[in-house]
Amino acid sequence: MSTTTAPTSRAFPRPRASFVPAWALHWTTWALVVVLVLGPFVPLLEASLRDRPLYQDGGVWTLEPYRQLLNDGAFWTAWKNTLAFAALTTAMSVGVGAAFAILCARTDLPGRRAYSRLVLLPILLPSLGMVLGWIVIWGPGGYLTEWFSQRLHVGTLAIDTIPGMAVVEAARLLPVAFMTCQAALVRADSSLEDAARSAGARPLKVLRSITIPMLRPALLNSATLIFTLSIAALGVPLLLGTSNNIKFVSSYLYDLWTNGSVPDSPSVSAGAMLLLLVATALIALRNLLLGAEARFVSVGGKSGRSAMLGLRAWRYPLAALLGLYLLFTTMIPVLGLVLMSFVVVLTPLVAPWHLATWAHWHMLSEGVFRRSIEHSLVIGVVGAVLTTALVVLATLVAHRSGFRLRRTLPFVMLYPRAIPGIIIGIGFYWTFLVTWGVGDYLRNSIWGIMLAFCIRNLPFAYIVMYPTLARIGEELDRAGRAAGAGWWRTNRSIVIPLLRPAIFASFVLMFVEILNDYDPAVFLVKPGTEVMGATMLTQFIQGAIGPVAALAVVQVAITVVVLAVGGRVFKIGATAGGHGA
Amino acid sequence: MPEIHVEGLVKEFGDQRALDHVSFTVADGELFTLLGPSGCGKSTTLMSIAGFQAPNEGRIAVGADTFFDADRRVNVAAEQRNLGIVFQSYAVWPHMTVFDNLAFPLRVRKVRKAALRDRVREILELVDMAPYEKRYPHQLSGGQQQRVALARALVYSPSVLLLDEPFSNLDAKLRERARTWVKDLQHRLGLTTIFVTHDQDEALSMSDRVVVMDHGVIQQVGTPEEVYRRPANRFVAEFVGRVNLIDGVVSSTAAGSVVLSVDGSQQQLTLSAPDRTGLAEKVTIAVRPEAVTLLPMDDRTVNGTNTWEANVHTVAFLGDHYEYEVSAGPVPLTVQSARRVEGDTIKVHIPAEACSVVA
Repeated sequence: MSTTTAPTSRAFPRPRASFVPAWALHWTTWALVVVLVLGPFVPLLEASLRDRPLYQDGGVWTLEPYRQLLNDGAFWTAWKNTLAFAALTTAMSVGVGAAFAILCARTDLPGRRAYSRLVLLPILLPSLGMVLGWIVIWGPGGYLTEWFSQRLHVGTLAIDTIPGMAVVEAARLLPVAFMTCQAALVRADSSLEDAARSAGARPLKVLRSITIPMLRPALLNSATLIFTLSIAALGVPLLLGTSNNIKFVSSYLYDLWTNGSVPDSPSVSAGAMLLLLVATALIALRNLLLGAEARFVSVGGKSGRSAMLGLRAWRYPLAALLGLYLLFTTMIPVLGLVLMSFVVVLTPLVAPWHLATWAHWHMLSEGVFRRSIEHSLVIGVVGAVLTTALVVLATLVAHRSGFRLRRTLPFVMLYPRAIPGIIIGIGFYWTFLVTWGVGDYLRNSIWGIMLAFCIRNLPFAYIVMYPTLARIGEELDRAGRAAGAGWWRTNRSIVIPLLRPAIFASFVLMFVEILNDYDPAVFLVKPGTEVMGATMLTQFIQGAIGPVAALAVVQVAITVVVLAVGGRVFKIGATAGGHGA
Repeated sequence: MPEIHVEGLVKEFGDQRALDHVSFTVADGELFTLLGPSGCGKSTTLMSIAGFQAPNEGRIAVGADTFFDADRRVNVAAEQRNLGIVFQSYAVWPHMTVFDNLAFPLRVRKVRKAALRDRVREILELVDMAPYEKRYPHQLSGGQQQRVALARALVYSPSVLLLDEPFSNLDAKLRERARTWVKDLQHRLGLTTIFVTHDQDEALSMSDRVVVMDHGVIQQVGTPEEVYRRPANRFVAEFVGRVNLIDGVVSSTAAGSVVLSVDGSQQQLTLSAPDRTGLAEKVTIAVRPEAVTLLPMDDRTVNGTNTWEANVHTVAFLGDHYEYEVSAGPVPLTVQSARRVEGDTIKVHIPAEACSVVA
């Protein structure tokens, strides 16, 4: 026990209120997020209801663009194709992804730890580059397609058909299903399964009657998300569907935009509005399903031991199968890209070293390719910093303030996840047109493209930020407030330092996403403001496959290095799971 | 040190009423305890005083400063209230050293460097944590973290101290020592203190006065002795300590005492002076287990009043006392007795002054 006398109760000055009141900061942050995310839809809606593009004088309000679109048989065909494609993609990626998740989380599969990390690769690698890799290897006249038909006389799946395109897209989106199911399995109490086994059920029976039913919410959740994402796919239909003239809604709108008889036709905006409506309905449905999820969540439970299903004789064959899957869908397309970038033509008829060339790589050092790389790196860094800063603030307002509208922020921040990239592109295109000087500046520089990319990928930053914030006890910032610090001082000195790992993770993830994004840019890009993804798309369509492959290799290499270094330094392996949420 | 006035606080969460017209005044230098089960509104009350929750109605003032007044739309921000709070989780900032944790409130108040260092050291001395000023919280034990939390709440000379279940994360032994220590410190500093707990031992041993709350309503305010010996109602009797409840009907009243016919039996119970009970009224009596006396059947030291014959069901030896489960006719009783009374049938004596009417 201390024997010091009680200290004199000294009077300290009362803490002064800060210059910028907290409410001003809250309102500013909220308004910024809402305007940036939802703002572009206003001019888009307007553009879809006018008889001519917004930049032309005159014009009247009309429903004509919608009428035109709905009377076009090709638009309906595009919807039919899109829905068939999305349904197939969803079925395949959810089915296979869930199977992989069960194998990795609940069996004694050899190498399951390594596999559960490698399976995530396709969603982290640049999606456009991966599609190119698929084309080079598995496309008509692709390396392995030829090799299989000439050496083994077996046909491979034609990836330029709807089922083929669905396979390509499913391979990319499979990690979404895998992560959602794996998270559900890890969270679920394995003693539920133990209980069934001690009640006498054989392992396969347990799998069928306990494990898989428990996964139902995760399956529904990932299925709606994958369906929404695949409806919006642009790269696959544009690169694979064009030769067979298979149009999806996204590629239909893209063609109408670039090759239509009227430039910037209002029908494109009308189509974008319809697509937005569908995507929004799907996300609302998903929220509804997620709301019901709580009923399925098993309470508590430490899953210390997870391998319960002994595969016995199937162990190695299944591990080999999973390995082959990864080899053919991920490794070989990447290798194909690398190979393609070094040869004149990629063909199994002639050994590659006879066709070796540096020409493609030389092209990267000049002109549009060089500009694209530089631009992408610049907007990647700047965009990642700005988005992370905004999301930190917005997440704090959403979850650590008494701001009246705080509950709307998470919805607004997650919304772009459901919006097809082309809609964001068209929305910003019109927004820049109607915002005078600022818009003109953004339209004619790379910053406009950066803004669109940032908004498109903002949900990832939030998905990384929120779980970390939720783990920081609220009493820590209350203690700061009680000590006399205002809202901002408390967050600056206490909460933000504790958020540091999530801030770094968000930065790394945002950089990679902005670097690899492309579809919003195809509507915004101009000569002089090219970025990697958009350049790859336009140059590929023009037939410059070699340099595009080299560009894709650069993209893949930067992505892998940044994720590897970032992941090691900031331990973000787990946060990649954000893609699934 | 100022008084704390809380008047007519009402707080609603949806259609749930968490606080229902809660009013009390805490005197200067008093240690005042809010006691109740979880969900009774004690933490909501404390957080309303601290400024982390805004009640729907009512008024909160410390000394001359009005912190909250629903009618006048006054709601002083938490950081402007100058209160010291110790949270249940201690909330010691994990990325700051002990020194920096204590320095933060002073830096917010723009205290000069030298004065700041002296003050932090002075308070660390006070809580016996001076040697640990360079440590980070994860290098401290739970008890040490609690001292840091308390020191941080005291360092800027707050007008009042609020303690939100500060002992619930300590193990039993440490908890008792911490109680004595905090009580001693509070007394020496003469700090007006509000203390929230669900642990009745803690409340009884530390407080100058106790408020017992349930479902957002104050059930009783009084000294620990009053609350324990004269519980105002059935809830207080059952929540604070263990109790035997006896139902009956008033059969006769006399000056300063009434006689009760116990339900379902011929037994009578004489109580002292429950002035508000009327004839033929149904009442419930509370008697503490240690207030009941056990006697062998052949004992003649007490007269027949309030002495009943009882059957012994179980006897448990608990170290410093025996615990008996007996039944006197239809009335089951739990009795604590310092000495062992032999026999399957014994006599129980319930002193008139040990009975309080709770319903």
